[in-house]
Amino acid sequence: MKELTVTIRRFDPETDKEPRYVTYRVKVNDGARVLNVLHAIHDSIDPTLSYRYSCASGQCGSCAVRVNGEPVLACMEEAKDNMKIEPLNLDVKKDLVTDLVPRLEQIASLIPKTETVMPKKADIDAMKPLKDCIECLCCVSVCPAVDVTKFVGPTAMRQQMRLVLDPRDSGDRISDAVRDGLFTCTTCQACWKVCPKEIQTPAKAIEKLRAHANRRGFTLPRHKEVAAMVQETGRSIPRTSESFLEKVPDVIEPDGPVKATVGLFIGCVYNLRQQQSALDAMEVLKRNGIRVIIPKEQVCCGSPLIRTGQLGYIDELKRRNIETFTSRKIDTVLTMCAGCGSTLKHDYETPFTVIDINELLTKYGIEPPAKLPIKATYHDPCHLMRGQGVKDEPRQLIRQVVDLVEMPAICCGSGGGVRSGMPDEAAALGKKRGEEIKKTGAEIVITSCPFCEFHIAGHTDKPVKNIMTVLLEGYREKDRKNAEN
Amino acid sequence: MRADEVTDCHVLVIGSGGAGVRAAIEASQYGETVLISKTIVGKGGCTTMAEGGYNAVLRDVDTCGGHLEDTMKGGAFLNDPQLADILAREAPLRMGDLVKWGAVFDFTDTDEVAQRPFGGQRFPRTCYAGDRTGHEMMMTLVDRPSFVMEHAKNVTVLQEYTVIDLLKDGDSVIGALALDEKGNIVVMKADSTVLATGGGTRVYDISTNSSSGTGDGYAMGYRTGAELIDMEMVQFHPTGAIIPYDARGRLVTEAVRGEGGVLKNVYGERFMKTYDPARMELSTRDVVARAIAAEIQKGRGTKNGGVYLDVTHLSREQIETRLPVMLEQFLKFGVDIRTTPMEVAPTAHHIMGGLRITPECRTTLPGLFACGEVSGGVHGANRLGGNALAETQVFGKRAGEAAGKAPVRKKSVDERQVDACRKRLNAFLSGSTNPAQVRTKLQLAMWEGAGIFRTAVALEETLHTIRHLQTMNLKAASAQNLAECCIVQNMCLTASLICRSALLRTESRGAHVRTDVAKTHEPENSPFGHTFVSLTREGIETKEVKA
Repeated sequence: MKELTVTIRRFDPETDKEPRYVTYRVKVNDGARVLNVLHAIHDSIDPTLSYRYSCASGQCGSCAVRVNGEPVLACMEEAKDNMKIEPLNLDVKKDLVTDLVPRLEQIASLIPKTETVMPKKADIDAMKPLKDCIECLCCVSVCPAVDVTKFVGPTAMRQQMRLVLDPRDSGDRISDAVRDGLFTCTTCQACWKVCPKEIQTPAKAIEKLRAHANRRGFTLPRHKEVAAMVQETGRSIPRTSESFLEKVPDVIEPDGPVKATVGLFIGCVYNLRQQQSALDAMEVLKRNGIRVIIPKEQVCCGSPLIRTGQLGYIDELKRRNIETFTSRKIDTVLTMCAGCGSTLKHDYETPFTVIDINELLTKYGIEPPAKLPIKATYHDPCHLMRGQGVKDEPRQLIRQVVDLVEMPAICCGSGGGVRSGMPDEAAALGKKRGEEIKKTGAEIVITSCPFCEFHIAGHTDKPVKNIMTVLLEGYREKDRKNAEN
Repeated sequence: MRADEVTDCHVLVIGSGGAGVRAAIEASQYGETVLISKTIVGKGGCTTMAEGGYNAVLRDVDTCGGHLEDTMKGGAFLNDPQLADILAREAPLRMGDLVKWGAVFDFTDTDEVAQRPFGGQRFPRTCYAGDRTGHEMMMTLVDRPSFVMEHAKNVTVLQEYTVIDLLKDGDSVIGALALDEKGNIVVMKADSTVLATGGGTRVYDISTNSSSGTGDGYAMGYRTGAELIDMEMVQFHPTGAIIPYDARGRLVTEAVRGEGGVLKNVYGERFMKTYDPARMELSTRDVVARAIAAEIQKGRGTKNGGVYLDVTHLSREQIETRLPVMLEQFLKFGVDIRTTPMEVAPTAHHIMGGLRITPECRTTLPGLFACGEVSGGVHGANRLGGNALAETQVFGKRAGEAAGKAPVRKKSVDERQVDACRKRLNAFLSGSTNPAQVRTKLQLAMWEGAGIFRTAVALEETLHTIRHLQTMNLKAASAQNLAECCIVQNMCLTASLICRSALLRTESRGAHVRTDVAKTHEPENSPFGHTFVSLTREGIETKEVKA
């Protein structure tokens, strides 16, 4: 037996105006799960504590709660001392019990065809990965689009895709999915990162449904324009001034000894809109022993097309990009755009290693910059944190140059074609980001993705800076101080 | 408590597992149907947790006669032969319904529903969806938002309502009394009432059952006057998890052995060779559970009090695709079953006994039908793995159909019964004993005194404990805790029925082992039939034995 201290959010709509947090000390067995803690409190301290459970073995999806902010199944998650247990971010009925039924009712059902059709093994195998869902609604509870639009949520889209794959179904799944908010998903990956069954809804359902929608002519006009531009120019945004690739040499040699040589994949936004951030990054790399080869014939990675289901031209883009680097015998390709990095890592089969700039710099270590007297907050780019699992590295870099105040990691609204295709939703999510930034009291916002950088700048009065820019400022301050001495 | 809400319908189905939902689907073709569920439909009950599979004869080389014989032999010939025959003959048809409605069962390379071997069967006839078969069935049945398609308008679903008693008009059942989630009484009138409340092995300390396996249907049926048979027949599943402590009893599916998993004692011996050399690990559950219990008793168990269940010789791919839930569950508890043997011990799993039913699922009370685990007779003295999921569909449909076809009746609610119910609930509000404590004491007493090996002395003692617990003034801390008090009382009553029936059967048969009774016959020559208990009588049927 062991004793744990846990805090639970209690709320009874009949008697409470606001939720309240109550702390309990409770004895449980070694290896106890969160659910066993709830049982212990209910059975021996306060029988009025309400929570829902049924199978207690991870199969029914009744008991999902948030532990220290993260959605988990109470029956499977090991109980920890000092944990905070809250209901999922859904309508709360009482204490930890949320109103699941209205959300469950939005999940579509199979409508059998009049004639009997038997699936083939291939159909079954295709559907199976989408059939593990236990409808715990963890995914819905973290979905940013659900928060600001009428989107029915990730698992409902998962179900639509499962039905698309079923020869027995007679429904018009694509029209329904579009109606229910298919294009509102920012592909932030939050849903599948919290999924107890690890169902990759963005890649395995949303993007697949969008590809079907594309064939049916549902693609949003703005997304079609992007696709046309990529096909015409190789880039997803127009050239309005001298591009990054036009400004830089083919190879940038570092100041000191070479620690590593990488090929740079720059991406459309750094190339054509946020050039200064990219140029700042080159300075930082130069200072830290990284030799950078910059092939000029590289094109768009294809992310804006893959995320929006426009797959017709993708193979050509992949071929050109891969050839660009392999022809120069480059074995490591550096990305600094979170979206490009995630795409190269997951949607490509590359003969070379792909590494994000934060990973690269923490791997080889950086020259310490001067510490700037600035309080900063960091916005995790979805395609960096969830897409590539790069969460600690940027923080390690940031803490060397400024004071870091954390804020919750939520999508800013710029991804998945939402900024171009669903501007109102993107603005609503950007506004929420602005509010979180304000709460931190930070003087600047740091991020590591050109989309986030550009989008968040429109929703906060604080300067939004690329992590490389801030590092460079640290180096400049250091140089200035050294010059003074 | 607010004023009672009254609803009226043609068929009231109580319980939302596989049998209840199947019954509601069928009943809705005949008239307005209400499905009332203690949980969220699709999440509660044990069907959704069922892992291994669904037995159905699907191949030309297999026969329904073979399925029947396996079921009877596995059931130590205590099964009602007519019910077992129906199970074997109709399981394939109901399987067809599921596939038509969209179930994603595993398929073979030749595009047929795949089947795996399970214990006590001459042919691999267990259909499956990995090791989440029951979940797949429930997802198919609960075809939201209109789980009965063209008859959707005929079904109302009341979720998270707890039925606390059946309503009677004279001898006949006319619906039920329920509590909503706030603790208000709801009066439900119905021409036909279907009990599909599932099982009750939560009355044991170590059990595979979900939170709803509390025996409410047995208790309510008994209190209303229905007769129950073979309540002593409790199946202990051979393989339940044992560590950590709070995960004790969690089901480790028979599919693990079906896929080739072997049992070993602490010395690494495949001990099944001494208990059933022909069938080894795929013997029937009663035999395997006793073998494991015996090994542990004789000091050949692991230090955690179990035996090893080993799949490390199987390919990773086979484990990952056929047993993904097992892999995931054990990984969560720090054991990689691809490289490390599991530790397992028996766990209370299924009650073979229950309300006595006819082939149309009529109970001994007019107006009351029963299907699924709450009914008795299909499985006899021991259930074959894979027969329960089949039973839910075969008898769920039958119950729904018979209830639906029953005539519309004039029903008058007996106000005295409602008043009595209100008094009972009010007493809880001023009660003194924490129901959780009563539940824990009951579970420990049952595990101790009415487990795998039984004696009259221990059963009497357990019954004595239960009777004492039944006198407690249970306390409801708020109106929302009323249902919990009712459920704990139901658990006590169900436990008492198990003990009484176990005392009535003075023989060892199937899952019921009386170590204090000398063996005088083989199951097929037993002079005994069903045990029966009701408010008015109890006993054991006897029959002429061929010399």
